[in-house]
Order: sequence, then structure tokens, then C-alpha cells
Amino acid sequence: MLFPQLSEKDPTAEGVLATWFVSDGDQVASGQLLGEVMVDKAAGEVVAPAAGHVHLLVAEEQIARQGDVIAHVD
Amino acid sequence: MSVTDSAAKAASAPTRRQLTTARAIAEGIAQEMERDSGVVVLGEDIGKYGGIFGATGGLLDQFGPQRVLDTPISETAFIGLGTGAAVEGMRPVVELMFADFFGVAMDQIYNHMAKIHFESGGNVKVPMVLMMAAGGGYSDAEQHSQCLWGTFAHLPGMKVVVPSNPADAKGLMISAIRDDNPVVYVFHKGVMGLPWMAKNPRSIGPVPEEPYETPIGKAAVAREGTHATVVTLSLSVHHALDVADQMSAEHGVELEVIDLRSLVPLDRETILASVGKTGHLLVVDEDYRSFGVSGEIAATVAETDPGMLRAPVRRVAVPDVPIPYARSLERAVLPVPDRIRAAARELVGA
Repeated sequence: MLFPQLSEKDPTAEGVLATWFVSDGDQVASGQLLGEVMVDKAAGEVVAPAAGHVHLLVAEEQIARQGDVIAHVD
Repeated sequence: MSVTDSAAKAASAPTRRQLTTARAIAEGIAQEMERDSGVVVLGEDIGKYGGIFGATGGLLDQFGPQRVLDTPISETAFIGLGTGAAVEGMRPVVELMFADFFGVAMDQIYNHMAKIHFESGGNVKVPMVLMMAAGGGYSDAEQHSQCLWGTFAHLPGMKVVVPSNPADAKGLMISAIRDDNPVVYVFHKGVMGLPWMAKNPRSIGPVPEEPYETPIGKAAVAREGTHATVVTLSLSVHHALDVADQMSAEHGVELEVIDLRSLVPLDRETILASVGKTGHLLVVDEDYRSFGVSGEIAATVAETDPGMLRAPVRRVAVPDVPIPYARSLERAVLPVPDRIRAAARELVGA
């Protein structure tokens, strides 16, 4: 799962992983809202692309760039 | 179903779905929009941007621009539009953005929205929700940090609700939309779980997925205690709970924390029952101190039975000055945990 594109102007804009609604290793459903990210004051959603166990690669409050891998589900 | 039941049910369910307060509000609005085609949303930046505090996130995509209207910066016009639509039988949710902006549109709010049902002898109803953001703590200064819920509660004709957590925020929004009276729905920016505000773990919590109502006019006992009652609302509930946990551990003092949830109608019974039990009352309010909520709570006890008080009432509120911009000065006037703790210790002699 990639950090979503919130800024179209700057494809590699820096943002913050604001909130994880799930914990590392949780079983998640496809389409479930997993987290929230922010670029400037715009917030975006991180949604599970498939069902499985989620692995969180970026901690809350940590800075990441748009397009960075922030989690995966297997 | 009451929210307590719903929250308890959610807590015991296998998946504890968590939401921020902002998302819980948006979900409540969306579920009412699905149920009732007369529910529409309007205001500044509520569509494409999803509301600057996230309370309407996703609604434009889901329901389209016919029912989710981004308005120009013209509060008088769009609050009047909402009132007119409500009179005609729709159920508009109108966002004022910052509560501080009410001044420019106050005639529409308190002379029209709040009085039409009275003037018509109840023949014309105004089932409208006027939603707004309140509160400080992030250096936004005099014109963007006020709470002002006491002002709306003071003026007759409007119900006023002020949720403190995600589950109540959703349930109170659904109740507000279904209510046939104008309801002023005030959310504190600090309880919304906004990514750009200070992290607040109490702004994220389990929220039942199905629609449910949280009753308007019913306070919640957020924490049971025996030594003193803290009556409060919104973000100050979070601070009071933190202080209560700390005082329990350090001083063996058990504070009972009452989350008012609604100011109009005010749940005086819950306040009186708690003060009757503890004999001590501390009111914590982020609105201005004089002529407001904290005085009304104190008067409620004094008018009923001042004999139930074993010590004078204490109040922690904003002293009667505008909210300063400077972080240090702002902290000095807001009801921060240090001020709540000091007042509570004084009250019970701990």
C-alpha cells in the first residue's frame, strides 16, 4: 500500500502518517479503512486493497512521501 | 438504542471498528442522507474539501453536488437558505465552519432559525442542524478559538449539543437531523482526531456501524467517583478524565466526571444526582466564565438544595478576555489539565 497522492502538483510531496485505526498484524477486510494520512492540511484515507493480515511499515506521526510503501497485506 | 448500549455492544463485538470523531460525524450524516432524501448539506468547503474539520468528508462523492453544496463565503445567505429549506420540509445540515463566524449571520440564526416555530405556534417547524467548530489550544487567536456554546444555549429556541467522543458524535448527529427543532451542533476541533492538531487518543474510538441515536438532553457519567463531581463538556471531558485518573493514583481521590453532551436541554437531574452523592462540584468549561454555562450549573444546584454542597462550587473556565494568540498566554486562559487539577485538589483538600 502506497502513501496516497493528495498533492497533484508535487507527486513526491512530504506528508505525515496521522493515524492507524488498526494494529500491526491485525486481520483486515478488503475495503476497510486502515489509516489516515495528511499532506499540509489535506487528509487522505488508507484503505485495505485485499483481506489478510496487515503489516504497518510506517509509524504514526512519522513523515513519509507520497508514493512511499507504508503497509502491506498478506 | 442509547449510545451506552451501542458503545458497549461495539466494544464486545469481535471487530472493534475505530473512527475519529470527524469520520463518525460524516458517517452519521451519510446514513441519514441514505435514509431521507430531504437531508442536504451546505456550507463553505464542505464538499470538495470535505469540511475543513473533516465532518463532511466523502459526502460529495457519495451524494453529488445536488445534495452537498459548497457555498460562497456568505453565512447570512446560506444559513437563511437552510432555514427556508427546513421550513419547506427538508432537513438541511448547515456548517458555519468556525463558531466565531456567527456574528455576521446572527439575525438569521437567532431571529429566524430559532424563532419561527415559536412565532407560528408550532405550526411551522425548522428541522435544521447548524454545525460549527469551536475551541482553541493551537494558537488560532481571538477570532478562531472561541467556544460560544453558552451564547447559543442562552438564546431560546435552539437545542445545543456538544459531543466529546466519536460514538456520541455520530449518535448526536443522527438525533439532531431527526429532531424537528433547530439544533446547534458544536464540535471542538480538539476532539475531532484531525491529523494537523495535537494527537488526542480520546478522539479515536469504537463507533457502531449501524445508525443509532444518542439522546439529546441526556448527560453521560464518563467516570464514576465518590469525592467530587466534575461537570464538563467536549474537550474538557478528556482533560478531566486524565486528571481524574492521575488523582486516583496519586491522592486516592475519585472524581466523578459528567459529560453534559447537551446544553439545551440541560440534564439537570444527572448533575444533581451526582452532586448529591459527592457534595462537591467543579465545573470545567472552555467558554467564557461570566454569564455562561458554569454559572448555570452552579445555579442549578443552588436553586435546588445548596445544602448538598459541602464546599463552595469551583469553576475553571476562560477568564473574561479574548483568547490570546501567544501560546503561553493561551495556555494561561484555557482550562488545561493543570488548572483542573489545582481546582480539584483545592476542592477536596488533597
